Amino acid sequence: MSFILRRILFYIVAFLVAASINFLLPRLMPGNPIDIMFANAGNSMPPEAKKALAATFGFVDRPLHEEYFLYLKSVFSWDFGVSIKKYPQSVLDVLMRALPWTLFLAGTSVVLAFCIGSMLGVYAAWKRGGAFDSIVSPSALAIQSIPALVIAITTLFIFGVGLEWLPTSYAYKPSLDPGWNWEYISSVLYHALMPVTTLAFVSIGGYLITMRNNMIGQLGEEHVVMGHAKGLTDARVRYNYAARNALLPSMTAFALSLGSVMGGSLITEIVFNYPGLGNILFQGIIARDYPLIQGQLIIMTLAMLTANLLIDFIYIFLDPRLRKA
Amino acid sequence: MRKSMILPAIASALMLTTAGAQAEAILTAVPHQTTAFAEIFNPFNQTADQRSVRDFMYEQLVVFNRMQGGKAEYRLAESFEYSDDLMSVTFKIRDGVKWSDGETLDANDVYFTFNLIKENPALDIRAIWEKLDSVELVDDSHVKVNYKEASTGLIFDVARLHTVPEHIWSSVEDPVSFANANPVGSGPLTEIRRFTPQEYVQCRNPNYFQADDLKVDCIRFPQISNNDQALTAAAKGELDWFGSFLPDIEKTYVSKDPENHKYWFPGGSLVIFNLNMNASEEGNKEAFNDVNFRRAFSMSMDRQAMVDIAGYGYPTINQYPSGLGRGYHAWNNPEADAQYGQYTEYNVSGAAELLAEAGYKDTDGDGFLETPSGKPIAFDLIVPNGWTDWVNTVQLAVEGLQEAGVNASVATPEAAAWTQQLLDGSYQGAINALVVGVTPHMAFNTFHSSKAMASRFSVTGYTNEELDGLLDSFFKTSDDGEQREIMNKVQMILSKDMPHIAVFNNPYWYQYNTARFEGFFSADNDQAVPTVHDGNPERILHLLSIRPKG
Repeated sequence: MSFILRRILFYIVAFLVAASINFLLPRLMPGNPIDIMFANAGNSMPPEAKKALAATFGFVDRPLHEEYFLYLKSVFSWDFGVSIKKYPQSVLDVLMRALPWTLFLAGTSVVLAFCIGSMLGVYAAWKRGGAFDSIVSPSALAIQSIPALVIAITTLFIFGVGLEWLPTSYAYKPSLDPGWNWEYISSVLYHALMPVTTLAFVSIGGYLITMRNNMIGQLGEEHVVMGHAKGLTDARVRYNYAARNALLPSMTAFALSLGSVMGGSLITEIVFNYPGLGNILFQGIIARDYPLIQGQLIIMTLAMLTANLLIDFIYIFLDPRLRKA
Repeated sequence: MRKSMILPAIASALMLTTAGAQAEAILTAVPHQTTAFAEIFNPFNQTADQRSVRDFMYEQLVVFNRMQGGKAEYRLAESFEYSDDLMSVTFKIRDGVKWSDGETLDANDVYFTFNLIKENPALDIRAIWEKLDSVELVDDSHVKVNYKEASTGLIFDVARLHTVPEHIWSSVEDPVSFANANPVGSGPLTEIRRFTPQEYVQCRNPNYFQADDLKVDCIRFPQISNNDQALTAAAKGELDWFGSFLPDIEKTYVSKDPENHKYWFPGGSLVIFNLNMNASEEGNKEAFNDVNFRRAFSMSMDRQAMVDIAGYGYPTINQYPSGLGRGYHAWNNPEADAQYGQYTEYNVSGAAELLAEAGYKDTDGDGFLETPSGKPIAFDLIVPNGWTDWVNTVQLAVEGLQEAGVNASVATPEAAAWTQQLLDGSYQGAINALVVGVTPHMAFNTFHSSKAMASRFSVTGYTNEELDGLLDSFFKTSDDGEQREIMNKVQMILSKDMPHIAVFNNPYWYQYNTARFEGFFSADNDQAVPTVHDGNPERILHLLSIRPKG
């Protein structure tokens, strides 16, 4: 069990380091929110009014270390303060409103990409050197290296603007009121179609290649030969003997991307005007909304670390060698 | 397979919702780009995403129509009158106005609101209490505002106060963070019919004082987060009243429905180049402080190309040596044009000659000029990253400057960093824009020494005592002739010294769609600044002139 203890300790330290960087990073960016807010207003704010405003947002001139401890306290009490851009809403409110959309959008696409990519990888490895493998595997590599932005914009332009088959923005038709009815749910699915597909499309390649390569390694192993020799069906050997073992490294990648789901798929959400965390973070950075940026990054960090911790646990079950470690 | 079942289902759902067309006149407008709406209807909030609260939900006292030479359009106030010494102004509040909940609106509410923003400086968004001494409640229909100094210009800010109901706001504990989720207002549209983060609909005030002129029953505000999305929605004909930068507008927007898709871009804010006279590099400082260098800079600017190429022809060229701008042509001093007009004509060889005469030459042989005292000149012109029309403008400027022998280059920091560099004076040169007011005074007043480095509009470090005096005296008189005289002198000083280099006036972004509504302002119907954006006080006049077709 010392393995688990060591891991947990490691994650606590990692969280502290991440939280500290998170505190420093926004403060290293040039510009401050109050100035930005009024940069384009015709009147210059008198210093007293600026100060009053700054105070309402919680910006009081304090030494950096004091601010740091206040920040740590707020992180551990799960209170990220008030958003500046969305004043007077609290950061938590703003983030929680966007969270379900991101979970849905990015979660669906990660799971889709993982399943489809791995299946294709298994198949490509099984028939390695065949027509399928020699077309699909190189194309997967090629697609993987196209920036997500290009794919998102191209899809948007072809299917949204050109053909007008699919909606170009929103999470659901704006005239609908959210509710558990078919009309609303279908609208949500319809609006998610393009963003989910483009997001999944980009990452399928990665899973495909990892799975294919692991699989090829496994296929040369003796237990696979043994399976064949026993006269088992191809499918049985492919999935129960080879794929099961080959899945381990892919699981790590899967868990990592599940963790990063919380960061929101920044580009996709902006291109498709999807009301998720990525879009919120982007707006927050432009407005130098420190509390919002910090809250968002903390949630991302936590999600990432939790996903890693979970995968550590899962590994213990999947890989008996670790239980003795 | 599942997807193929969803599509037809959705198609039928869409048909159902569009079939139930409304008899009500619902206008679709985009006053602001945002990622999500939240229910905040506090008219003093500077950051909220609902930009339909000021003017549409809470009326102002008086609107001064910039396109009609500052003509007063009375809103909640019926009239106003100055004291003889111009030290105070008394507003007479309109009789019989009611709040949307049926309570009476009178001078008490106005008086209350003035004091509310005094007690909470964070609400004083126009910073008026800096210049006010006190406010008196004369009687139920009169409020007297006492100034610290005589002024005929302060009213432009004072009359923009958005009065809030005392019977509601007096019991609000913290008016700064107050969300005002159930607004009670005085404007044309006070009732929130539906609200989602993606769209809200704001409808008719049942007790509106000008109900007869209001032909629009509701405005629908869809959430749009950037110009591309605005273009997509606009091209489909979904938006009636909006204002976005649309590239190649004739092709991308107008051609989709030439009958109805229209736009009008009157000249707005003044786009200038700032040269930092307190630059830290000796050579740059020497050059920027030399009027000959600034004149040569101006002569290297191909303003027509900036308008036509960088701005898609949308901006209005500005060749006034003082930077006055066509919008204020009525104030123009022809003498300034006659004497200094040559310095705003594009003439690179003339610029090179002027620099040579002033003693600039290439002493170290790097192909670029050094100052008369032999120090190198090399500077960046900063422009916010992604502001494409401006970035292209700066590129054209740099081309001209390099041709004249000046080592200038383009730098594109992020918008926040650009603001920061202007504010802390660490920039060398920059493109910038000045907000224009009812009179040219507002833009010129950025050169007043008291404003130096107080905002991103006053960052050149240029000061001139004579100019200060003239700017101060402008609003000390209510005599038109005298004001004109002062403005003539101001223009002469600025034309002679050329502390900033004006290139063009940004357009007011305004597009409209006449498929469902008519009565929009246009070049042929130029009643007022037509934009729907918050910050354009005249938009209330525009709303009242829009009516459904047929």
